[in-house]
Amino acid sequence: MARVEDTIERMGCAAGFTQVESYATPTGLFISLHDPAGRVYTRVKRIREGRNDIATIAAVNALSRAFSAKQMGVDEVRSALEGLQQDRAPDGLARQLIGGGGALAFAVMFGGGWREAVLAGMVGALVLMVVSRLEGRFPKVLQAAAGAMVASAVITGISRIWEFNANVTILGAVMVLAPGMVMTTAIRDLLGGELVSGLSRSAEALVIAVAIAVGVAVVLSLGGV
Amino acid sequence: MAVQISMGFVAALTFGFIFRVPADQRLRCGLVGALGWGVFTAMKGSWGEVGAVFLAATVVAVLSELLARWHHQPVIVFLTPGIIPLVPGSTAYLTMLAFVQQDYAEGVVLLVTTVFLAGAVAAGIIITSSIFRNLFRAKHVGR
Repeated sequence: MARVEDTIERMGCAAGFTQVESYATPTGLFISLHDPAGRVYTRVKRIREGRNDIATIAAVNALSRAFSAKQMGVDEVRSALEGLQQDRAPDGLARQLIGGGGALAFAVMFGGGWREAVLAGMVGALVLMVVSRLEGRFPKVLQAAAGAMVASAVITGISRIWEFNANVTILGAVMVLAPGMVMTTAIRDLLGGELVSGLSRSAEALVIAVAIAVGVAVVLSLGGV
Repeated sequence: MAVQISMGFVAALTFGFIFRVPADQRLRCGLVGALGWGVFTAMKGSWGEVGAVFLAATVVAVLSELLARWHHQPVIVFLTPGIIPLVPGSTAYLTMLAFVQQDYAEGVVLLVTTVFLAGAVAAGIIITSSIFRNLFRAKHVGR
């Protein structure tokens, strides 16, 4: 959040405003700009949905630095930003398949052998595919719960015919959904004095963790493992 | 140990894809993750989990700050995927699973563990980033 506010303030000052105030939360953005003539421009921007896209953050960061250093004009920045927005193509299959490798790695970190690792990797990729189908159409809670249900259903199904540690495998596979990063950012915001953003992220992490757990628990209780 | 370190690499690299890190930086993310997980695995025995996570998160944060300044990228390009192996996503999930399955005693233990681990990661990051910000205030590179 501090980074968003920094960027806005840096760009506002570079655009010639005398005072720039911004307030960013995970669900909304408030900006007011004071020009030298004393007029104040204020905008409120509601943020309904975000996604993890570090490449876009890096690109916007580079733009804002070029703008502050007067290497780019307003029009150039605007068209570059619009270009970024159009580039946001739907996810490739590659990202989901490679993402499954994350689940594989976590299964090994949690003490799984090669069977658990391979299965977790494949199911992790499947989970990412399911979630990307639901992205934008269903709330995040339902995405996480659906992903967790698919993961545990597939893994319990396979464990009926093949001997392996289903718990470690499920744990690895749902790691692609787990809110560890959200929770760490939340505590980081809280420690840094960003209380509103910290609390709302904690709530987000809690809700996602509950959704995953409910998804897995429902399947496990139905399957009777 | 070698297996664990390479898994740290794989986890950070693949989460680099999940978080859509710019393509030319992904291998560096993997290296950051491998180092972090290696430090954690090596120190877990002597420092305990929370201490080892704090140390490893600090190492990851320092390396990310350096790489960010070096390659003119925001710090989170390296920090977010690199810290992933250390972040207690699994204990958060296990906590809620224990509560949902009405194992409240186990749930409370896991909940406290989760909060401590996340706190250790966050503390490592925040201490490092504030030191770096004070050291390099004039330049204003990165971030």
